[in-house]
Amino acid sequence: MILVWLILILLLGGLLSWLASRWNVLLARWIALGAVAVNFVLTAGIWFGNPVPVGWVAELDLEWIPRFGIHFHLALDGLSLLMLLLTFFLGMLGVLCSWKEISYRPGFFHFNLLWVLAGITGVFLTMDLFLFYFFWEVMLIPMYFLIGIWGHANRIYAAFKFFIFTQASGLFMLLAILSLYYVQAQQTGVYSFDYFDFLETPLPFKTAQWLMFGFLIAFIVKLPAFPFHNWLPDAHGEAPTAGSLVLAGLLLKTGAYGLLRFVVPLFPEPAMAFAPWGMLMGVIGILYGGKLAFAQNDLKRLIAYTSVSHMGFVMLGVFAFTELAYQGVVMQMITHGISTGALFLLAGMLYERTHTRDITRMGGLWKSSPALGAAMMVFVMASLGLPGLGNFIAEFLTLNGSWPANRLLTALAAVGLVIATVYSLRIMQKVFFGPMPQTWPAADLKPREYLIMIPLIAAIIWLGLFPQKTIETSGHAVTEISLKKGGSR
Amino acid sequence: MTSLIIVSVLAVAVLYLGLFKYKTALLPVSVTGLLAAAAMAAMDWDLEKMYFSEMMLFDNYAVAFSILLILTTLLIFGLSRNYFEKISNNVAEYYALMLFALAGGVVMVSFHNLAMLFIGIEILSISLYVLAGIRRKDPASNEASLKYFLMGAFATGFLLFGTALIYGATGSFNLAAIASSGAFESALFRAGVLLMMVGLSFKVSVAPFHTWTPDVYEGSPGLIAMFMATVVKTAGFAAFLRLFLMAFAEASAFWAITVAILCILTLFAGNITAVFQDRFKRLLAWSSVSHAGYLLLAILAVGFSASSAVLVYTIAYSLASVAAFGIMILVSRARGNDHLDSFNGLARTNPFLAFTLTLAVCSLAGIPLTAGFFGKFYVFKVALAQGYTWLVVLAVINAMIGIYYYFKVIIAMYMKENANAVAIQLNPGFRLVLSIVVFLIFLFGIFPGLIANIL
Repeated sequence: MILVWLILILLLGGLLSWLASRWNVLLARWIALGAVAVNFVLTAGIWFGNPVPVGWVAELDLEWIPRFGIHFHLALDGLSLLMLLLTFFLGMLGVLCSWKEISYRPGFFHFNLLWVLAGITGVFLTMDLFLFYFFWEVMLIPMYFLIGIWGHANRIYAAFKFFIFTQASGLFMLLAILSLYYVQAQQTGVYSFDYFDFLETPLPFKTAQWLMFGFLIAFIVKLPAFPFHNWLPDAHGEAPTAGSLVLAGLLLKTGAYGLLRFVVPLFPEPAMAFAPWGMLMGVIGILYGGKLAFAQNDLKRLIAYTSVSHMGFVMLGVFAFTELAYQGVVMQMITHGISTGALFLLAGMLYERTHTRDITRMGGLWKSSPALGAAMMVFVMASLGLPGLGNFIAEFLTLNGSWPANRLLTALAAVGLVIATVYSLRIMQKVFFGPMPQTWPAADLKPREYLIMIPLIAAIIWLGLFPQKTIETSGHAVTEISLKKGGSR
Repeated sequence: MTSLIIVSVLAVAVLYLGLFKYKTALLPVSVTGLLAAAAMAAMDWDLEKMYFSEMMLFDNYAVAFSILLILTTLLIFGLSRNYFEKISNNVAEYYALMLFALAGGVVMVSFHNLAMLFIGIEILSISLYVLAGIRRKDPASNEASLKYFLMGAFATGFLLFGTALIYGATGSFNLAAIASSGAFESALFRAGVLLMMVGLSFKVSVAPFHTWTPDVYEGSPGLIAMFMATVVKTAGFAAFLRLFLMAFAEASAFWAITVAILCILTLFAGNITAVFQDRFKRLLAWSSVSHAGYLLLAILAVGFSASSAVLVYTIAYSLASVAAFGIMILVSRARGNDHLDSFNGLARTNPFLAFTLTLAVCSLAGIPLTAGFFGKFYVFKVALAQGYTWLVVLAVINAMIGIYYYFKVIIAMYMKENANAVAIQLNPGFRLVLSIVVFLIFLFGIFPGLIANIL
């Protein structure tokens, strides 16, 4: 039952916050924060109860539309648990960072924010593919509004592009889900959308291949992998801070999660056949994304392109088919969520102070805001993969796990770390050091901003120094997925 | 059957009320009568009664669609307060003609004989020819009426010719007799099926017989356009499906490919043209053409819960259309026209209207949490079950195009500003109907089992 509550609290919290904003905006903000915080505490409670989950920790299976064999089936394993912790952690920060930034229709803003989070929670929990598609789409509309109403100058274009890309790719997934349903019914006589039923269904290779492409397209557009990354810089660049945070930190992870949870276990053989191409797409993403990041002057677009680069590691790892690489992918999902989320938050704070996103107009800010600079330094270092911070562990594991699968591509991917160093250091240099092209009002971090940054810094250091805890949590789920590897290589 | 009698008597009664100038009684009498008709129809559930030597059959299919038609008309009447008074002095004509059309619609969903199909279609159409041209001094309205009448008469010719040929091939007008005649191979029969298909395609605006739709919708008063898009379209499709399901199902191998081609043409013609519209009413007209395409998908899948799929789809589509046309009427009345720019800033001045319209277009576009998503899902599902994967792929591409133009209005409402916009006043009827629609779209979107299990 607790799983339904996780979703319901967010949905109701969103509605309540919207209502409350009619009378008191501050109350609306507290309600939103409270709803996400309650979820975080609940999830953390599950985690402390089961630090090393084996199998499914919690499950709920209700009939929804019996005529079609559609169930309201939620289940939680180690992988989902980690993703949920990340979701609610970043969700709280998303509410906090909008505290001062969003003053236009704040009630509707929090409604949308919480409903996006609810959709994401649903995606991470559901085990019925119809329901999965349902939540997959539920995430979109509120996100569309978040970008389109509260974004920067070019927001309408960006929101539209985001929506069309993800919706169109999602429809292909719907088609694949429906076809899978009928293929299964033909073979076994069972009409069901249940994940566990699909796992048992043997598929002819050709059919499986087509169906896999349907799923794959939805997930790699969302991830995004080269050449489908095109919507991302616009959407991330134009979104408000909380929107960028949720997009980069969470929405992209649903793509990665989908690859791990659905593509590999449901279609092991075609995924295996596609693996070299998948890894190649990953490597191109790493290198090309890094190159583009280096070429940006708009801070938010720059960070957006680093996401393309980092998500390349996810592609690489998923299609390497080794347990080590999968561990790396899971770590990458979490650490990228935290570090890139933090970078977007910092970019938002800089924007509040300077009202520009152009890094060539910034410079020398270290003098006036050393604490902001220090926080930025931590996450820039995380982004370039400095040992001791979480991202290093993730990338190291991924590369290590990919080496046996394809040496050439792994070596090329490793070059990406050098590019990461270049573009990351450029951020620090342009924004905080060097000459000051114009003077900005001196303002260092405020208490609320400390409250946002300190947990993030703590988390990224903790993940870098003690990754074992996280690896253990997702360990069993990841082993399960890697055992699905079909046939022999 | 009782419901059909009630609707017909009601129409006559309303005419007399108009004659004696009881204007205030029109709406209450119509609403009460329609509620009674819906209740009487519901009592026929599971009875499967034949009437008039097998001319009509009130099976569950007929009952479900009758109730849908009656309730949709009821919703439209709920919006009609003070609406017709503004265009005409003879308000009773509107109510009476709409009720006559509704009676025709009820016949169309319950016929068991080709003669009754023809009669039903004619009762419906002739009322509509008048309704389309009811603003006598408006050239657009005259054009709409004339166009509709000429093309409609032509289509009726096709329909009748087809009926005659089928009678020649099978020796009967009775659907069951046609189905068991075994004359499916004869050229006469096949020509008859095709001609009837053309006639019906015209009525439900299936491409390439759809060209009248945008002009007629645009020229007719908003509520009449709403009536055409919802009640008339639902009745037309229910009749289309009933005919092909009960009489021609055995010959489906022959006509399926034609329907598939019509389906593709309709989807692309409707959706692509809708992209280029900048007036909301025309946009809705073209989108209603495209919805005919999705419904044809279900007709292709005769026998495999096609009737359930069509019912679910038409319920979702009617609800969303009532909301969309209703808000279009309000906006064009308050701001002078129905250009998409007129919707700018509606979210600020009228959050409720903006929310309702967003929900309605999301439902038309087929976004989850709304009834429309499930309707699309269902027709795709039945078409896939019949192995029309390629067709569903094309339909999915069209659904993507649909999202593009439906979202234009959402963008206008939420993301564009209009500095001198003032809040639009709603009368209680509008508020009630729109609230009911919002509730139902959500209800059927979250618990689609409620409507999926009816048939």
